[in-house]
Amino acid sequence: MIEPILEVRDLHVRFPVRRNLLGRTTVENHAVSGVDLALVPGETLALVGESGCGKTTLGRTIVGAQKATSGAVIFDGKVLTSMPERERAPYRRQIRMVFQDPFSSLNPRFTLRQIIGDPLVATGEARGSELEDRIAEMMRRVGLSPDYMDRYPHAFSGGQRQRVNIARALIVNPRLVVADEPVSALDVSVRAQILNLLRELQAEFGLTYLFISHDLSVVENLADRVAVMYFGRIVELADTASLYDAPRHPYTEALMSAVPIPDPALKGRGGRILLPDELPDPSNPPPGCAFARRCRYAEAGRCDTGEIPLEHGTRCVRREELDLQGIVGAPS
Amino acid sequence: MEQPSRPLLEISGLHTGFDTFDGRVRAVDGVDLEVHAGKTLCVVGESGCGKSVTARSILRLVEDSGSIDAGTITWHGDGAPFDILSLDPRDKRLQRLRGGDIGMIFQEPAASLLQLRTIGAQLIETLRIHTGLDKRAARARAVELLDSVGIPDPQRRIDAYPFQLSGGMCQRAMIAIALCANPSLLIADEPTTALDVTTQARILDLIRSLQAEHRMAVMFITHDLGVVAELADEVAVMYLGRVVERAPVDEIFADPKHPYTKALLASVPVLGRDRRRDLPTIPGAVPNPLHRPSGCSFHPRCAEAIAGKCDVDAPPEVNFGGGRTAECVLYETEGAKA
Repeated sequence: MIEPILEVRDLHVRFPVRRNLLGRTTVENHAVSGVDLALVPGETLALVGESGCGKTTLGRTIVGAQKATSGAVIFDGKVLTSMPERERAPYRRQIRMVFQDPFSSLNPRFTLRQIIGDPLVATGEARGSELEDRIAEMMRRVGLSPDYMDRYPHAFSGGQRQRVNIARALIVNPRLVVADEPVSALDVSVRAQILNLLRELQAEFGLTYLFISHDLSVVENLADRVAVMYFGRIVELADTASLYDAPRHPYTEALMSAVPIPDPALKGRGGRILLPDELPDPSNPPPGCAFARRCRYAEAGRCDTGEIPLEHGTRCVRREELDLQGIVGAPS
Repeated sequence: MEQPSRPLLEISGLHTGFDTFDGRVRAVDGVDLEVHAGKTLCVVGESGCGKSVTARSILRLVEDSGSIDAGTITWHGDGAPFDILSLDPRDKRLQRLRGGDIGMIFQEPAASLLQLRTIGAQLIETLRIHTGLDKRAARARAVELLDSVGIPDPQRRIDAYPFQLSGGMCQRAMIAIALCANPSLLIADEPTTALDVTTQARILDLIRSLQAEHRMAVMFITHDLGVVAELADEVAVMYLGRVVERAPVDEIFADPKHPYTKALLASVPVLGRDRRRDLPTIPGAVPNPLHRPSGCSFHPRCAEAIAGKCDVDAPPEVNFGGGRTAECVLYETEGAKA
């Protein structure tokens, strides 16, 4: 058994929505409700789900940008969530984040040298010519010419800015990278370049990725394992191949059926599952399965009561009975 | 390929430019397109290729810094055909087009709906302008419309403000507004880009079924090739302000001609096909339209560019017949000249 590099245990994150006169929280939104995860070194685990499912909050809690309400984030055997801020500092460089929007995540008043070198300066790890060498090396590594070191972000395209973002994350030699929708804002022709770059860098530096995305085609291209989130919980967790070929949770099936496939021969291929818009209220989670009200397989009395555990990689009481459809019309 | 005798909308030689700090940007640089009744034209391209500006030019909704410099946009509606671009801004026909004969859905529903008025008020206003219904009848019709676009509990939701609704709901409200006067043409500018896939699937279904009911023409702007395959009859691929390839949807996927179309199709990960493998890429990025490359604007990124030719001469438009064209020197000898 390989030791996991990162473990998340029964993690809950709740956001206060309303307080009473005494300042006590009376209504809370449940963003993450009881997530368990383990990442082994060198793998790519993708976190997929629709907007509002809690995937970004989970990512932010792992890097320490968001406080957990309860539960633990364990990195390399150390419980980060119960650690005082000061002791946490060394771990900030081992877990780095790449953000979604390359336009808003770079300070327009800083040059690339300042942006990429900032983590090294902040930790006092390098200065002077060593700093410059390391920035130049990192820039070359992500496919940017070091000649651009003294330019400002506005001069660069979305794809180049995302390379800057990646360089900034990797310059302190992290071990885990949390990438939150790193290619969603990019043009199609540039998206493939960044995906290939992420793959190369992973092989070269032995990185572990937590890749957050809503795009199932991109996830299939990059991930070793996939965790599907719905309403703050992981509803299915499996190897990429088995998840896409034979999903075991009805939500995964519905999600997959909704992805348009660029092949007009499959037009009207059928099998598309249209979900009603009955999203549960995040401040008052329903008992049982949160997906039950939108699920075409839901059975009254079984799906809407009690707590449904994540067993054999799926959180569904009917998992033994259902025969769910994977990608339709996929070349085998 | 059956080809209706005349298109509903005909864009010819459209040039739209914007004045910026650094000079004039030719956002649309000579676009020819046709939209036929009952058919869906998908306009595909990356950011900055001019697809949205083309759509906005049709309704003459170009911002102040920009202007339409040349070209004609002919509307073959019920009456005599006329050029939209030469209408006086106060012409009644222009008002009838906007929101009447042509409905438009914008990319960001939250930004294009007024935040301080209920969706009902915005819908009823459009209905009253274009259909002449009285207040009560318009409200009843509005409820019907919201119901038909799949908004649950429309009686109550009609009095909701946009911020009280989710993105998908707002987009459906936008669609209801765009469709309220039974337009002959629906222009949809990336209507599903900001939405989740499950919501997207429902919106696409909705557009398809409404189109079948009303024989409406649809001009659908997107960068998602999956959506194109699903929805389009005809496809136009745009790059840096020009249409580089036009073809029926089956042919463009089966046999893309222009190197840009080929590269674009290859670089998109497809479910079930590209598991854990490197994707072919298009080198570089879309150039700044201020510094348009000489000759064919795609040549610096093109794998098949011919030195001394592609970087010097503007590429010819080759007509392959059956509604297929490509702007590329590679086919110069192949196609018949139009």
